[in-house]
Amino acid sequence: MTNLTSETFDQNARAALRDTQLRGALDNLVKTFGERRKEVIKTVDDWEALRNRARQIKDETLAHLDNYLEQFTGNAEKAGATIHWARDGKEVCRIVLDLIDAIDATNVVKSKSMATEEIHLNHALEAEGINPIETDLGEWIIQLANETPSHIVVPAIHKTKGQIAALFVEKTGIEKTDDVDVLTNTARKVLRSRFAEAEVGISGVNFGVAETGTILILENEGNIRLTTSLPKVHIALMGIEKVIPKFADLDVFLKLLPRSGTGQRLTTYQSLITGTKLERDDEGPDEVHIILMDNGRSRMLAHPVTRQSLACIRCGACLNACPVYQQIGGHAYGAVYPGPIGAVITPQLTGLAKTKQLPYASSLCGACREVCPVKIDIPALLLHLRAEIVDGEADGISAETRVKKKFGERAVFLMYSFLWRRSKLYNFGAKLSRFFQKGVVKDGKARSGFASLVPPLGAWTKWRDAPQVAPRTFKEIWKEDLSKRND
Amino acid sequence: MTNTASAKGEILASIRQNLAASRRFDTVYNEHHIPADRVAGSERHDEAIGLLSRFKSNLDAVAGKCQVVHNDREAAVAIQNIVDDLKPLTIAVSDSDIINDLIDRINTDATVLKNASKGELFDCDVGVTTAQWAMAETGTLVLESGRERSRLTSLLPPVHICVLDAKNIRGTMGEILQIIQNDLSRTVTFVTGPSRTSDIELTLAIGVHGPRELYVIVISDETNA
Repeated sequence: MTNLTSETFDQNARAALRDTQLRGALDNLVKTFGERRKEVIKTVDDWEALRNRARQIKDETLAHLDNYLEQFTGNAEKAGATIHWARDGKEVCRIVLDLIDAIDATNVVKSKSMATEEIHLNHALEAEGINPIETDLGEWIIQLANETPSHIVVPAIHKTKGQIAALFVEKTGIEKTDDVDVLTNTARKVLRSRFAEAEVGISGVNFGVAETGTILILENEGNIRLTTSLPKVHIALMGIEKVIPKFADLDVFLKLLPRSGTGQRLTTYQSLITGTKLERDDEGPDEVHIILMDNGRSRMLAHPVTRQSLACIRCGACLNACPVYQQIGGHAYGAVYPGPIGAVITPQLTGLAKTKQLPYASSLCGACREVCPVKIDIPALLLHLRAEIVDGEADGISAETRVKKKFGERAVFLMYSFLWRRSKLYNFGAKLSRFFQKGVVKDGKARSGFASLVPPLGAWTKWRDAPQVAPRTFKEIWKEDLSKRND
Repeated sequence: MTNTASAKGEILASIRQNLAASRRFDTVYNEHHIPADRVAGSERHDEAIGLLSRFKSNLDAVAGKCQVVHNDREAAVAIQNIVDDLKPLTIAVSDSDIINDLIDRINTDATVLKNASKGELFDCDVGVTTAQWAMAETGTLVLESGRERSRLTSLLPPVHICVLDAKNIRGTMGEILQIIQNDLSRTVTFVTGPSRTSDIELTLAIGVHGPRELYVIVISDETNA
């Protein structure tokens, strides 16, 4: 299930549907996180107002992103942090490698960060002989199994306890067990020795506060605290969209993110790090480096619909709520970010050419929009991307060819609009369709012989019922019966 | 440095260009989106229940062990009881005066490490610190690096004992953020219960990386707390 690509989404999804063990795991996810979320959002008095406020803060930030980033970097530098800018993933990897080389380090620990997954940082480091150790339990499992995360919050959700136990027996030499506490303790013991020797710690960032230059990272396990406290050098990778204006704004996001992500009122730990320690003998790293990464993000600012993607706080609620994700899981998307948010972010980050199927991996039911803590209109984004695909942007077709290509389609819609605006013609059209459909559609399916003759209908009705014209239209019923009734 | 400097220039320029390109769509888009209300929702709670009780019940809910005592002497007894129960070999304490004073009153065979090094802390069984503030609405401890050397003592040992002055409990995250921003420490850590994970089949497991047990001893001079 690991090396799937977005290009083969249809096949990936079909294979996933046959994986009963995966579907059991997903069922568990939906029930646990979905229901916990529903309960815990009742513990704030106005969830809607909170979501609106969060979105407002994000919109304000994104509209002046350049200013807030400059304010953030100024304040972080004042507190002793070093700021790096990276246009793309390659530049991030180069910066990280240079920082590791600068202190001749070989022992690198990592806490969970989707941004580092996005740019395949581990591969880049491994190619240079550095083996970073993932320390989040889920990420460590995935690393040991040489797989990729299938969920942005619980990366190993697709694996059973039995599979994890077998993996630990093989890789760490423990006795066979089915006790989650034993497995967890094994991870603690093995990873403690890694932490003890770690020279560099790499983390992500949940929020960067412009007003103070603070970065905030949330977690439950404590591995982020260890990663950011023990090694001499701390490197934090931060997407440019992670900045928020005010320290007080954290209040809003700390109420939204844990509730939406894991159904908790607050995660166990929050680390708020502002620059470096003040005295040499104090606790914490000597150096704090923050890498600000664009990697396709600034492009999304160019339209209000796509700009919304940058409001995402990576809670994963849309994954848990999505009827498509619920059935096929994360790997089928063939991308680092799965689910509804992945279906809109991945094509924007990596281009539509190889991700054309993703914006269609949705029934547009709107469940994602409903649960999104920052009210991202994901269905609108999916439609926006579908429009780009239809316009041929994915294939790099020129505007001229696009007009030509769409000539037939436009003619059909012109005709359609001509008919629908004239009631006599419309009525006549309905009668005509009723007559002709008899030969073509039966019980919602295209008649077998006709499927090939009427190409769109054949493909369409393979998975869906074809809409049939009713035996009597409402207009006819009205004229013949209803208008004569006087109650 | 030159590379990252030019990257900075290019990224900021790209942000400005793309925002400018968006302007012609923004008006239409904004017309269809009603502006948000400025008030944000806050945690529900019963005003009749005091801060300390709310703190305690919320901490209990996340598997923290909270007990309320009335003075230093009782706090020392509480620590003594935990130590007698756990029989640690080594106890690390933060540089807080209160903690150092309390630990001197404890009767134990354990080695007590004041100002323990990073390496020593890895092998300690218990860490004792205070917390500068606490948040009632979630049962959260707030540790400020500028006021106490507690960052590793509260993290590395499998048991964390925290002594808290009830006067430092505040109601909400909003209040806490306002207080700590005033003289912002280089590291502020919020701690809500013991370390936990549910990465294996969403089954809750306690103590994966941080402390497995969190004891909070609240000193409150109010007798009816």
